Amino acid sequence: MEGIKGSKDRHFHINGSNFVLFCAIIVVIAIFTSINHNFLSYQNFINILVAASLIGLVAIGHTYLIIAGLNDLSAGSLAAFSGVVAALLVKNMGFNFWLALIFTIVIAVLVGVFNAWMVTGIKLDPFIATLVSQAIFRGFAYIISNGKAVPISDKTFIKLGNARFLTIPLTVWILIIAYVIFGFILAKTKFGRSVYAIGGNKEAARLAGLNPNRIIYTCFMMMGALCAVGGVILAARMNSGQPSACVNLEFDSITAVILGGVSFTGGVGNIGGTVLGVFLIQSFNTGLTMVGVQSFWQYVARGALLLMALATDYIRKKNAEKIMLEDSMRNL
Amino acid sequence: MDNVVEFRKITKYFPGVKALEDISFSVHSGEVLAFIGENGAGKSTLLKILNGDYQPTSGEYLINGEKKHFRQPSEAIEAGISVIYQERQVLMNLTIAENVFLGRLPADKFGIVNTKEANRRTAEIISDFGLDMKPTDKVKDLSIAYQQIVEIMKAYSRDNLKLIAFDEPTASLSDSEIESLFKIIRKLKSEGKMVIYISHRMEEIQEIADRIVILKDGKYVGNYGMKEVTEEEMIRMMVGRNLGDIYDNLDRNKKIGDVLLEVEHLKTDHVKDVSFTLHKGEILGFSGLVGAGRTETARGIIGADKMLSGELYLEGKRIYNKSPKDAMKNGIILIPEDRKTQGLLTNFDVGNNITVGSIDANSNNFGVLNRKKENEMVQSGIREFKIKTPSAKKKVLELSGGNQQKTIVARWMSTNPKVLILDEPTKGIDIGAKAEFYNMICKFAKQGLGVILISSELPEVMGLSDRIIVMKSREISGEVLRKDASEEGLLKLAMIGGENNGRN
Repeated sequence: MEGIKGSKDRHFHINGSNFVLFCAIIVVIAIFTSINHNFLSYQNFINILVAASLIGLVAIGHTYLIIAGLNDLSAGSLAAFSGVVAALLVKNMGFNFWLALIFTIVIAVLVGVFNAWMVTGIKLDPFIATLVSQAIFRGFAYIISNGKAVPISDKTFIKLGNARFLTIPLTVWILIIAYVIFGFILAKTKFGRSVYAIGGNKEAARLAGLNPNRIIYTCFMMMGALCAVGGVILAARMNSGQPSACVNLEFDSITAVILGGVSFTGGVGNIGGTVLGVFLIQSFNTGLTMVGVQSFWQYVARGALLLMALATDYIRKKNAEKIMLEDSMRNL
Repeated sequence: MDNVVEFRKITKYFPGVKALEDISFSVHSGEVLAFIGENGAGKSTLLKILNGDYQPTSGEYLINGEKKHFRQPSEAIEAGISVIYQERQVLMNLTIAENVFLGRLPADKFGIVNTKEANRRTAEIISDFGLDMKPTDKVKDLSIAYQQIVEIMKAYSRDNLKLIAFDEPTASLSDSEIESLFKIIRKLKSEGKMVIYISHRMEEIQEIADRIVILKDGKYVGNYGMKEVTEEEMIRMMVGRNLGDIYDNLDRNKKIGDVLLEVEHLKTDHVKDVSFTLHKGEILGFSGLVGAGRTETARGIIGADKMLSGELYLEGKRIYNKSPKDAMKNGIILIPEDRKTQGLLTNFDVGNNITVGSIDANSNNFGVLNRKKENEMVQSGIREFKIKTPSAKKKVLELSGGNQQKTIVARWMSTNPKVLILDEPTKGIDIGAKAEFYNMICKFAKQGLGVILISSELPEVMGLSDRIIVMKSREISGEVLRKDASEEGLLKLAMIGGENNGRN
C-alpha cells in the first residue's frame, strides 16, 4: 500500500478528497482482512491489480470523457467486441498477434469516431449515443463469433495474459504506464487543459478559440483504443475472445471515476483520484468474492458503492459552494 | 383589513457577490411601491427573497407583524404573496380558466373537475377587470399582455391575496397594453392590496407609484413619497454620481488611423447584408434594440455563427473566419455579452481563465504547457487590468462581477488582438468598475486597436464612440458621428429606421 501511495505522489496530485478515498481504501482493506487474513498479502495485492487492468484502462477513458462533460456506456460492449475481433483475426485470418492488436485498435478507434459523430454530428446526448453503440457492438460481438467463445492458441497472445517482468505481471505494467502517460497528458498538456475547459463551459471554450468537436472526437477515439487494449488483455487472460464478457464494465468504471472525485457535471477531477477509485472498487469486488459473498449480492453492493460515489460528489459540491459563500462573506 | 409587509435587516450573499445589505423598510395596504435602482442593485433579489425563491443570509421579513420564512414560492403564494415575472409562467395549451385555477380547479369528492364552476368564476374576474376575453380561450391565442394579465388573474383569484409584485412587467408591452395593466393595478390598489412595482422606465414609475424605495449596489438608499423627489434626484440617488463627468473626463484617442477592418455584405442566419468599416484607433459604437442583430453581427465576424455570404478584409487583406479560433489567429476577438454562459470557465481559477485563450502560444510543439510562461501571463494580466484577487488560484466565480469581466478582458488581450469587439461590456457591474472600463477602452483605442462597442445603454454608446452604427431588424439602419448623435436620433433609427437607408 505504502509503495503505491509513494509512487503516486510523485506523478499525481493527491488532494483532500483523494485523502478521504485513501482512508476508505484502508477501511475496506481492514474489514476484508479481518474476515479473511489472506486479503492483506502481496500476492492478493497483485491479483487485485491484474483484475483491475481492464476496468483501470477503461476508467482512464471515462476520466477524460466525464471531465469533458461526456460519457460512454458502450465501453463493455466494445471491450468484448475487441477481444473477439483480435481472437478471430489470429485464429481464422492467420494474423500474427501484433498485427491483430493494431487492427483491433484501429477498429475500436473507428467506433470511437462513430460515437463522437453521434454526439457532435447529430447532437445526441452522449448517454443515448453510446447506448446505441453499446447494443450494436454487443450484437456484432455475438454475430462474428456465432455466439461462442473464440479460443486462442497463439503463444504471444497468451503470453500477454501471464508474462511477468521483474516479477510483476505484464498487464499491471501496461496499466501503470498508461496511467503515467495519460495522467501527464491530462495535467500538463494543452489537450488536457482543453478537456477541462469544454467540460466547464463548452460555449465559452469555443469562443475562447478552442475546438470542442476535435476534443470530443479525440476523447472518444482514445476511449476506443483503451477499450481495445483492455479487451485484448482480457481475452489473453481467458485464452479466448468471449462475446459475453465485460457486461456492466462501464458502470464499474464510471463508479470508480466518480468515487475518484471526477464531477459528473464535468470540468473537475484528476487521474490520481481515478487510480484510487479503481483500486477501491476492485479491492471491494475481489474482497467480496474472497469472503464468499454470493455473487448476486455483489450487484447490490456495487449499487450501494455507486450511490455512495454520487452522494460524495453531491456533498463535495455543496461544501465547495458553502466555502465559496463563506469566503465571500468574509471578504466583501 | 390593513396589511403590512416589513423587511428587517435583510442581507443576502451569493458566492462572490454581496447582493443585499441590511435592507429594512415596509410596504402598506393600498399603495403602489416602486423599487428603483440600476441593474444589479438588488431589486429582483429582494423580491425573490420575499416569495421564497431565495433564502436570506440574515435578516427577516414579517407579514402583519408575524415572522415568515418561505422555503419555496408555493408557500409564499399560500400566504397571499404573488410575484408576476417578466417571463410568463402560463401554460400555453390550457384555457384561461384552467390557468387561473391551475392546481386548484374546483372538483367534486371523486376528483372530477367542475369546469363550469371554474369558467364561471374566471368570467367574474374577467368582468371585474373589465376585459374582453372568454374563460375558455386558449392562452396561446392571447397577446403577450393578456397572457400576463392571466397571471395576474391567477394571483387575484386567491381569496387571501395580500401583495402582488411586478418585475419589469412592461418590458414587452405596447402603450395601450400598459394602460390596461395600469388600470388593473389601480383596481388592486383600491381594494387594499399591496403592490410592488419594478421598472426601469421613469415615466411609468411617476405615473403609477405612490412611493419609491431606492436601492444602490445592494444597499438601501431611501424611501420617498412620489411627490417628494424629482426625477433628477431619483437618478442621482440611484447612480450616486454623475455619469456625464465620467464621459467628459475620458482620455480619448484623437488620431484615428487607416482602415483596419472592412465588413462587406455579411450575411448569416441571423443578419442580412451588413457592411461597415472600422479604423485603427477608432471606437465604433453599435446601437439598437435588443434583438436588432448587433450581437449576431459580431458572432458572424468572428465565425461563431456561420457566414453565408460576404467578405472580411483586415488591413486590406481578405481573411476567412470559420471559427472563433480562426478569428483569434487573425487578431479579431469578441468579449461576449453573457459572462456566465459565454465567457467564464467557472470550474477554472483566475489564472487558467486568463490563459485558456493562449494555450497554443503557451505550449511547445508536443502540446506540453509551459507553466512559467503561463504564470508570467497571469501575473501581468492581473497587474495590468487591476484584477482584485488574493491570488491567481482563486476560483473565478468568487470575484465580483467587475473583476470577473476584467479577467475575461485579460484573457483576450493576452492574445494581442487588432480588433476588439465588446458586447455589453459593463452589464451588471457597478459604476466604479464602469468608469475603470471606459478608461480601459479608451486606452485600447490609443494603442491603435479598433474597438467595436455594442451597448444598449445610449449614454454609454454616445459617451465613448467616435462613430455610431444603429441596427434595426437585423440590418444597419443608420450611421451617426459622435458630434451629431442624440438619444432621440439614435432611438428613432433603432425603432423606425432611417430615411434612404440611413447612410450619411
